[in-house]
Amino acid sequence: MELDPVWKDALTEFGNIGAAHAATSLSQMLMSPVEMTVPEVMAIDIADLHKYISNEISAMVVFQIQGEIADGGYIVVNMPRQTIIQLTNQMLGMTDTDREINEMDQSAAIEIGNIMISAFLDATAELLGIIMLPSPPALAIDMAHAAFESIVAQVATDVNDVLIFNTELTSEAPPVYGSIYMLPNVELAGQLFRMLERLMEPLS
Amino acid sequence: MENNFFGEETAVILGLGEHRVGNYPMATIGLGSCIALILHDRRRSVAGLAHIMLPESRGIADRPGKFADTAITVLLDEMESQGCTRNTISAFVVGGASMFVFSANSLNIGERNTAAVKENLQKQRIRIEYEETGGKVGRSVYFWPEGKGCLIIKRADGTCSRV
Repeated sequence: MELDPVWKDALTEFGNIGAAHAATSLSQMLMSPVEMTVPEVMAIDIADLHKYISNEISAMVVFQIQGEIADGGYIVVNMPRQTIIQLTNQMLGMTDTDREINEMDQSAAIEIGNIMISAFLDATAELLGIIMLPSPPALAIDMAHAAFESIVAQVATDVNDVLIFNTELTSEAPPVYGSIYMLPNVELAGQLFRMLERLMEPLS
Repeated sequence: MENNFFGEETAVILGLGEHRVGNYPMATIGLGSCIALILHDRRRSVAGLAHIMLPESRGIADRPGKFADTAITVLLDEMESQGCTRNTISAFVVGGASMFVFSANSLNIGERNTAAVKENLQKQRIRIEYEETGGKVGRSVYFWPEGKGCLIIKRADGTCSRV
């Protein structure tokens, strides 16, 4: 589904602000600069998801969006396996990168996800004037597409397109890499559009 | 454990909610709570594959492959139109994992999908040849319809099975 270019710009800006705050939080945690790409906003047909989301094993930290719109959808942080290991090593002063994922990594993944998403939702909630709160997180370390589709199944009963904000956050020392995806349900997506419409009025 | 010597790259890959019937290799990757349902006619070497996401269509006619009830019907209809008969069709059911445990509000979709698929198969009187469902790991499925059919399941924990 092609997004109207005006919407795409507005949503990109929305994602930009959220991701910038998430990147700042992450860099404070890592004590090293974190860069982000300009978010790509896409409406992807569920049948094409596998073209965008691979089957690499990665850590997915998932939050339900609560607040003014209860169960408004999901927001996900996706970090490849190697990134989690690097981050845990960084935080605990370890150096072995050639190891299996253990419980400390899992805790670290959840913490990092928590920090980034709280920052993302805080920033965007202020922009939109709507309260969005993350639920306690759920973690899966598995094939990215499999984890993703388990979440999509919760929001996509009546729709066949998923709105995805994909921003990449990267850091050099240590080399980490992560993406944030937002999967609003129909109601929240509608709210987003209405808010963004209101924000854009003075410009037209 | 066999690796990529079966020409897995040549399999037609189906995405979420899609379905297909044919006599060529088919695959679907990254099954979480979804079910890959394969119906196979071993006499005619024809198979149907659907990547089922939800248990009930509740009247939605669009994307039959997405829902357990409509997927089975559409696969059977298309296979019959290609000359298959129900009494030589058997089923392979893979998927339905629970990867995330959410709040009590969200009912376990993986389990519901598995139950819905099996129930519909029973209603249509299709025998289940092989089932691997539940658990917490992601799976990818590859199927070759020639002769008895060959099913390969690859799991997120690195293990692989051939049936």
